[in-house]
Amino acid sequence: MIKIENLVKCYDDVVALKGVSFTVEKGEIFGLLGPNGAGKTTLMEILCGLRRLDKGKVIVLDIDVSRRPDKAKRLLGFCPQETLLYKYLTVRENLVFAASLYSLRSREVEERIKFLVKFLDIEEILKKRVDKLSGGMKRRVSLAASIVHDPKIIVLDEPTVGFDPHVKREFWQFIKQLHEDGKTILLSTHNMEEADELCDRVAIMDSGKIVAIDKPETLKRIYGGNAVINVKVKDFHMEKAEKILHKLKPKRENNELKIFVNDPWKLMPEVSSMLFAKGVLAEKIEVTEPTLEDVFINLTGKRLMEGVN
Amino acid sequence: MNPVFGIAIKDIKVFLREKGSLFWTIVFPILILFLYSAIFGREVPFVANIAIVDMDNTQLTNNIIYGLNQTEVLQVKMFQDNTSALEALKNGEINSVLTFPEGFSENLTHGTTYIVLSVDETNPDVADIIHSVIQGFFSKFASNPVTIKEGVSISREKLGYKEFLLPGILTYPFLFSSMVAATSAIVYERELGTLKRIRVSPAHPLSVLWGKTLATMAQTAISLFLISTLAFSLLNPKVNWNLPLLIPIMVLGSINGISIGLLISCIARSPSEASNAAVTIGVFLQFFIGMYFPVEFLPEYLQTASNVIPMTYAAKAMRDIMLRNAGFDKIFPTMIILTISAVIIYITGIFLYRRWVTKE
Repeated sequence: MIKIENLVKCYDDVVALKGVSFTVEKGEIFGLLGPNGAGKTTLMEILCGLRRLDKGKVIVLDIDVSRRPDKAKRLLGFCPQETLLYKYLTVRENLVFAASLYSLRSREVEERIKFLVKFLDIEEILKKRVDKLSGGMKRRVSLAASIVHDPKIIVLDEPTVGFDPHVKREFWQFIKQLHEDGKTILLSTHNMEEADELCDRVAIMDSGKIVAIDKPETLKRIYGGNAVINVKVKDFHMEKAEKILHKLKPKRENNELKIFVNDPWKLMPEVSSMLFAKGVLAEKIEVTEPTLEDVFINLTGKRLMEGVN
Repeated sequence: MNPVFGIAIKDIKVFLREKGSLFWTIVFPILILFLYSAIFGREVPFVANIAIVDMDNTQLTNNIIYGLNQTEVLQVKMFQDNTSALEALKNGEINSVLTFPEGFSENLTHGTTYIVLSVDETNPDVADIIHSVIQGFFSKFASNPVTIKEGVSISREKLGYKEFLLPGILTYPFLFSSMVAATSAIVYERELGTLKRIRVSPAHPLSVLWGKTLATMAQTAISLFLISTLAFSLLNPKVNWNLPLLIPIMVLGSINGISIGLLISCIARSPSEASNAAVTIGVFLQFFIGMYFPVEFLPEYLQTASNVIPMTYAAKAMRDIMLRNAGFDKIFPTMIILTISAVIIYITGIFLYRRWVTKE
């Protein structure tokens, strides 16, 4: 569906993309995970025809974006980080305008607006001016404007950045629904939870390069390091518990014992039984699995800086 | 819907809902018009002092002098000889000297004759009126030709400053509805980031320009309509509303304004720089294109500069049509100049716009 080959982009002396290559399969949610400045937005903007590439190839459904940008643009729906809407126009007027950019006929426009109103639940605000809407609603309308032409591929640049958790989850549902409808989605994020929750595959980007691509679970398994079993007992049982579990080499940290293992779910009942057999009652036993943040740290030695914009 | 119309409709809606744009393009020129109507709206007829030296002194010349006095534009003062009349002209006591040479009447009955007209050219608009009145008068008075330099005529009886001002005011929208609005239209998208939405669509970059040109022309038309209507009802000027000639000049003037606005928006390094530049250039240009006073009032080097500003030609054409009843043959060369300048500036604008879009 999307094929990116050896993509290079420079801004004066700065090399923003250093030979990036990957493919996105049909119907897949593909995530670009990386901190600000990793080159995610530049990559997406080249894909959507907003920037010229210096080297390499970007193919969308067998169409070379550099050679036939107008044809490629019809297949793509780009929702950038900013809500690119005209504040003095109503929601409906914004959608009609966005549709006009794709030369949609009146009947098609009406059908699409009808669909989007239902899909994004924006019926009540359809006649409201954009400057009267909340941030979350503006974001919905921005998504609607980006997909008003029913594109096969949807490109979302940091779709939930700056959202509160509730709105974020709501937006994730829209993305999942689009995925279920058969859309191919490329999204960029520096939110590991978002990448984990939504993406079928993730490309980890750092300083203009892709350092790893795979399914989130596989990345975590390979690069995430060990999982941790956290055991919390009463303070007066702490030393006894440490002795009971000494074979598993627990580390005491913040009134908890941390046991680093490869297969935590198999070992967790055993830990519980060992403590119970010696009369120690665990207050809490929980497993912390490696996250994509851990994957990123292990691969790059840096943090993802979640929430920094 | 075609992207060109989509962009045009969107821009018109945004324009009508954005108070700042409305102010600049409609309310501000109307306020100026109100101001001018308050100052010049009263019937204060224009009167030029003309000295007459009658060396022929016949019944015919006496009748002519009587007739000139009746025009209400000219106030006749009789002088005995040319020397004293020209001295008075030199001292600024009168605006012109008309001399009937000896044998004027006799020559007229035999065929052709002439008059000598000396005009104080330090006041070009007054001089222009005197030339026009004398020309118009003699073209009606005598069946036989009287040699006069100017070939224009005045179709009305009284000339007021309001009449002179109105064509100038009507060029105001070329600067502030066309030029400034065209700059703002592109800058607006740039500032909001909404140009990104247009650029990720298959709409051709030129569609954006066509759409914005259409919308800006519509804004200019609204502005021109309001100013004309208000001028008509408030000032009741005695001008010639020759719409078949005025409309093409207005369209060409507007396109020239839009083209300059396009250049400004693409050359400026930031949106605020573009907006400020457009407004400053507009305010500056209004004194150079003959809006409020004739271009001839300017020092020679500024007159040369004003000749390269397309709106100068638009203002002159408007004045020629509305004040001097100029016909198509007189206006046609100006139309050609405006068309050529519009094409050159617009094409340059397109080139810069494409380069700017790629750079963005």
